[in-house]
Amino acid sequence: MFERRDNEPDYAVLKSRVIEAGSATTNRYGTPIETVQSDNSLRNQSLNINQDSEIGDNPDRYKQHGFYFNADNCIACHACEAACSEKNDNPAHIAFRSVGFVEGGTYPAYQRLNISMACNHCDDPVCLKGCPTRAYTKFAEYGAVLQDPDICFGCGYCTWVCPYNAPQLDPEKGQVTKCNMCVDRLEVGLKPACSSACLGNALDFGVIEDIPDNRSQAKADIPGFPRTDITHPNIRFQQIRTTQREMTRVDQTAIKYHRSDEPSTTYEESPFIPELDPKQGYQRQWNLKKLLTSHENAHIAFTLSAQLVMGAFLWFFAGSFMSDSMIGVDSFSSGPAYLPGLMILVALITTGLYKLNMHLGKPHRFYRGFYNLRYSPVSREIAGVSLFLAGLVLFTLCAFFEHPFLKALQLITGLIALAGIMIGGYFMYKLYRIEARPFWNHINTASSFIGTGLVLGSLFVALINTAVGVMPQQLNTLLLFTISIGLVIEMAGLCYHRLSLKSAKSEGAASFYEQTTTYGYAYVLRNSLLLLSLIISLSLLVTEYQALWTYLLLASTSLISAIIGRALFYVVVIPTTMPGGFFWRNKGFVEHARETGLADMPQMGVVYEKHHSFNLNELITTIKNTSINDKIDQFKRIFSG
Amino acid sequence: MLFGRNKKNPIKIADKKVVEWKYATCGYCSTGCSIEVGFNDEGKAVSSRGVADADVNRGKLCLKGIFEHELFTSAGRGLTPLQRDNWHQSWQRTSWDIALDQVYDGIKTIQDKYGRDSFAVISTGQMLTEEFYTLGKLTRGLIGTNNYDGNTTLCMASAVSGYKRSFGSDGPPGCYEDFEHTDCLIAWGSNLPEQHPIIYWRFKEAQEKRRFPLIVVDPRVTMLAQNADIHLAITPGTDVVLQNALMHVIFNENLQDNDYIMANTNGLDELMAEVEKYDPISAAKICGIDEDTIRSVARLYAGAGAAMSIWTMGINQSTHGSDGVVGINNLALITGNIGKPGGTSLSITGQCNAMGTREWSSCSGLPNHRLLENEQDRKDIAEFWNIDEEFLPKKRGMFQTDIYHAIEAGHIKGLWLIATNPLSSLPNSERVRRAMQKLEFCVVQDCYEDSESNQYAHVYLPAGTWAEKEGVMTNTERRINLINAIIPPQGEAKPDLWIFNQMAKRFNQDGKVSFPDKSADIFLEMGRISKGRLADISGMDHALLEKSRGVQWPYTEQQASAGEAPPPGGKRLYTEPATFRYADGKAKLIPLPFIDNNEVPDEKFPVWLNTGRLIEHWHGRTKTGKIGNNNKYSPIPFIEINPDLALELGIKRGEYVRLVSRRSDAVVMATPTQRVPKNMVFLPFHFHDCANRLTLGLLDPHSRQPAYKQSAVRIERLEDQKAAAQLSMEMRNF
Repeated sequence: MFERRDNEPDYAVLKSRVIEAGSATTNRYGTPIETVQSDNSLRNQSLNINQDSEIGDNPDRYKQHGFYFNADNCIACHACEAACSEKNDNPAHIAFRSVGFVEGGTYPAYQRLNISMACNHCDDPVCLKGCPTRAYTKFAEYGAVLQDPDICFGCGYCTWVCPYNAPQLDPEKGQVTKCNMCVDRLEVGLKPACSSACLGNALDFGVIEDIPDNRSQAKADIPGFPRTDITHPNIRFQQIRTTQREMTRVDQTAIKYHRSDEPSTTYEESPFIPELDPKQGYQRQWNLKKLLTSHENAHIAFTLSAQLVMGAFLWFFAGSFMSDSMIGVDSFSSGPAYLPGLMILVALITTGLYKLNMHLGKPHRFYRGFYNLRYSPVSREIAGVSLFLAGLVLFTLCAFFEHPFLKALQLITGLIALAGIMIGGYFMYKLYRIEARPFWNHINTASSFIGTGLVLGSLFVALINTAVGVMPQQLNTLLLFTISIGLVIEMAGLCYHRLSLKSAKSEGAASFYEQTTTYGYAYVLRNSLLLLSLIISLSLLVTEYQALWTYLLLASTSLISAIIGRALFYVVVIPTTMPGGFFWRNKGFVEHARETGLADMPQMGVVYEKHHSFNLNELITTIKNTSINDKIDQFKRIFSG
Repeated sequence: MLFGRNKKNPIKIADKKVVEWKYATCGYCSTGCSIEVGFNDEGKAVSSRGVADADVNRGKLCLKGIFEHELFTSAGRGLTPLQRDNWHQSWQRTSWDIALDQVYDGIKTIQDKYGRDSFAVISTGQMLTEEFYTLGKLTRGLIGTNNYDGNTTLCMASAVSGYKRSFGSDGPPGCYEDFEHTDCLIAWGSNLPEQHPIIYWRFKEAQEKRRFPLIVVDPRVTMLAQNADIHLAITPGTDVVLQNALMHVIFNENLQDNDYIMANTNGLDELMAEVEKYDPISAAKICGIDEDTIRSVARLYAGAGAAMSIWTMGINQSTHGSDGVVGINNLALITGNIGKPGGTSLSITGQCNAMGTREWSSCSGLPNHRLLENEQDRKDIAEFWNIDEEFLPKKRGMFQTDIYHAIEAGHIKGLWLIATNPLSSLPNSERVRRAMQKLEFCVVQDCYEDSESNQYAHVYLPAGTWAEKEGVMTNTERRINLINAIIPPQGEAKPDLWIFNQMAKRFNQDGKVSFPDKSADIFLEMGRISKGRLADISGMDHALLEKSRGVQWPYTEQQASAGEAPPPGGKRLYTEPATFRYADGKAKLIPLPFIDNNEVPDEKFPVWLNTGRLIEHWHGRTKTGKIGNNNKYSPIPFIEINPDLALELGIKRGEYVRLVSRRSDAVVMATPTQRVPKNMVFLPFHFHDCANRLTLGLLDPHSRQPAYKQSAVRIERLEDQKAAAQLSMEMRNF
């Protein structure tokens, strides 16, 4: 058990909750504060903290706890962050808790609001649902949402979905860690290290919805804090002092929060509306290198290759089983491009998957990607794409032989692959529909993915067929038609995206601003190339002109626009996350430190992104040390939780 | 409720496996927090925590204290003595004996050739009091130079001088407990939340119990100013005008405490005559605070049952620093706000042991606030130390700031720098650099080998840091607290006390003067010469200090032998009528004419340069610049610049800019914020080769403290941001 001193000061000691008549039994979202009923089997179990089987005697052990933050009192002394990092032995670049700033007004009527934020141990933890490896658990004890880095494979999806920047992906260790609510301290009746360290009497902790002594408010909105309907966070604020009408983030993010005069009527509504704050002016720039060398390149490679292969496979499947010469697809399935084409597709998607896997913090734990089929779109995407890959490989193998049985088998494997496309494709899209990432959370993500699949997939078929000289006019027309449709879908999606974002009252507006300024020329280039592609494609369609060079031209314009477009997709996304400081937790400074080499100094608190090796030994050890029964249990728990 | 894993893995939470907690007092600021460092079974310092039953901090620590255990092994520590013939040569490792002999020879050679005072010793506020006392004995009693001062001249000299002028002695009269009793608090140029976070917490605790008004005088909207009931955004360097105007209103409206003034002060008429000139209407034009506000603040302050003032560098680091302190004291005296609960003028000190050096180092005089100018004091000390009375000078020598001017002029040829880094900390670095290059012999004694001043040293002596040594420190509220030697110094580094004692052996070959080895014994020796004085510590010893979590002076032998335990806190000075330290027991009311000699913005240099501290850093960052969990909040130098000015100059957020003053320039990153007015930038002073390249640092006539906070600069936009980034980075080895 955590060592509790005989003379712990009052401020560090949890006050046992006195149940008074009329005190709330459910929180503001309607969830019971009592996490499990008194007869529940989850009660009276040890948390097994560091293998210690004792059970804490905290009388409120089965009540949802949360942080209480008096924003009027916070002085940004960083004591909470320091206490947290000291206790959790975190290096400078990792912090479970951070203080960010928003400021407003004009000198001397200036105001800075400091916001100390860690994990909010939400009622509806999107991290837990999103995590493909099931590294997260929401415990009945204190309602704590805890994450196990030993399970995590470092994909970082939880860091994408969390609106509060709570999970921390460590680029050095390739794993996520996060606030553990100091459950070891709670077990002995002490408040978490951060709350106990607070020097402004701002941060407190207790049973959720309880208002500490000497405080009068428990609301869930302050400027800079994202809306609460995404996750139902367990944090309450006091912030009585009137803020300036506009409170601006001091970090690079081009967002300010505008105070609405309308009082919020429901908990979903924050009176502080995020708005664009064009901090860096409207100068259009290229920044191509920054755009194309980001750490998200693996995602670009994977999504583009998967969509191309899926799109192309549709033609191969149609070619194999549709003998209607009106369309002309059957001609190429009997032609010389068929088998090499399939093999290239297998190679492409394998490469994409390989890139994606090696992008993980712990690539040797890839098999854990399926663990959370119950909740995680990532798990489902991985399952779907794996199904497709399996179908595709078998389909390709069958294609080598001309046996009727194998033809039938090929149909089945083809249908499996189609199912893979349906599932994998859908969840590939679905996983980007993240509430905390407005730039992605748009139908444009779907139109972009589908459009890319149609355009690149059809172009692939057109290229290989033209290359080997088997290209009936009907097929040519059909391919060009599909390409044009794909391009139109993409462009329509982009137009709608632009319309929605430009005036959006969300971080989406800031993303759009980044897209049109920091990467403004790249954005224009992508759009021009898309348009050019459509012009070429339509001209070819109309003129019925057919040549390898025209397809090569079209392929290059489409591919470049697809790559730039996808790079923009990953690079300019801005989460609805907590404001940072000017140096610490400022993406702008992190990038600057990496570019200039300041990050070479470990005390800078900035480390470089890096790739992690495939630790074969760990994988073999895990396989060896896990008994067959355990493996079966593991497998069962994919479905049972 | 549980969801996620039905079969849960055991929870892993970092466990540092502390097997022993060892007691010390924090070595950063002057708050004087009791701290415990946790050691694991390998004897490694792995954790720090506040001592729960210590009255000062009651279990709390700020972010620097929380990571203080990382200090011992931080980068740049000196591990072995170094030597070289010329500063432009590379260092050679050497032994302690050779190094110490060289220092002895170096001092002797300079003194023989140019006279005793041509060798200067500059000490610090960072060491332990027994070390200060020993160094004082060595310097005053054996080396015999009168040019011996501490870097406290850069931070607290004005407070010392102001206290002496008003009360007849140094010694802050109040304590932290005063927050619990006051009805009005004025913070003059003090940003408690950032500079003294634990004192801020004590204030906040008190204010949450009793909502007394807070008035903040600061040209910048600090967190404290933002949280104040009244913020006086004063024009830099004009505090004295504001003080005079406040007194003008108090006298005019007859709000003064006549009984107190009669019983406790001299000089009322002269004061009244001077402040008569400062009507709020004229004063407003100079200090930038409107007449209405001046009046309402004067009424609030004078009308409060108990009112207190705190101040820090906003007052001290000014050409009127000493006057500003006297002004605060004047206000307190005329309203009867000294020596009563909640009524005080409390200087919030800077360095961890600035108070210890003021009391015991003999820099500005002789131990325990004794004066060189006082014959009896010289006689007492000479007798006690067993030295020739005539060996002691009859007047104090140069201040640190003047010593550098004397090096420049060629009067001082040799220098021993102890735990201070003038190349970073003195104003006008370029001038300091030139002076240091002229030194014929320079010794640097520091726990960090990478202290920038070491560039110009001939001998480097690696010292222990903080809790690698045993001894005491005095905090802002006169509380003496113990530091245990909880870990041996790194490498061959030695405690400063050991170094002084080894040096003393060389100067004390006849063994006439006694230099005890043990810190605890030295403390008892100090106790003996403190008897009957203001700072009487004769009732204390090291064991009592740890047991009591520090004891406020005075605590006398009589109290101890009568079994009177030291109170946990709340001890004040001058609580009885007419007990000030002037002969008649009365404090002086001193008139303060205002002379405007600041460097003020003009056409060529149109912007005020305001300098100051950041919570995450300590002084020149030799400590905090290497601890990632402190440093990361501000790893490179930056300015706060008003967004309207930035817009005018075409400067964007996060761009580097060049600041140019009449002295030199500095490259810093711009962070636009309305925290500062359009004609001012704020630049943290912590970074080497930065703020002090720009500062002028005119000296206060009384305290010789430099005016760091009032200089003028212009701001230049830098076209080549890449080159600027490179340049800025080159200057940051840590």
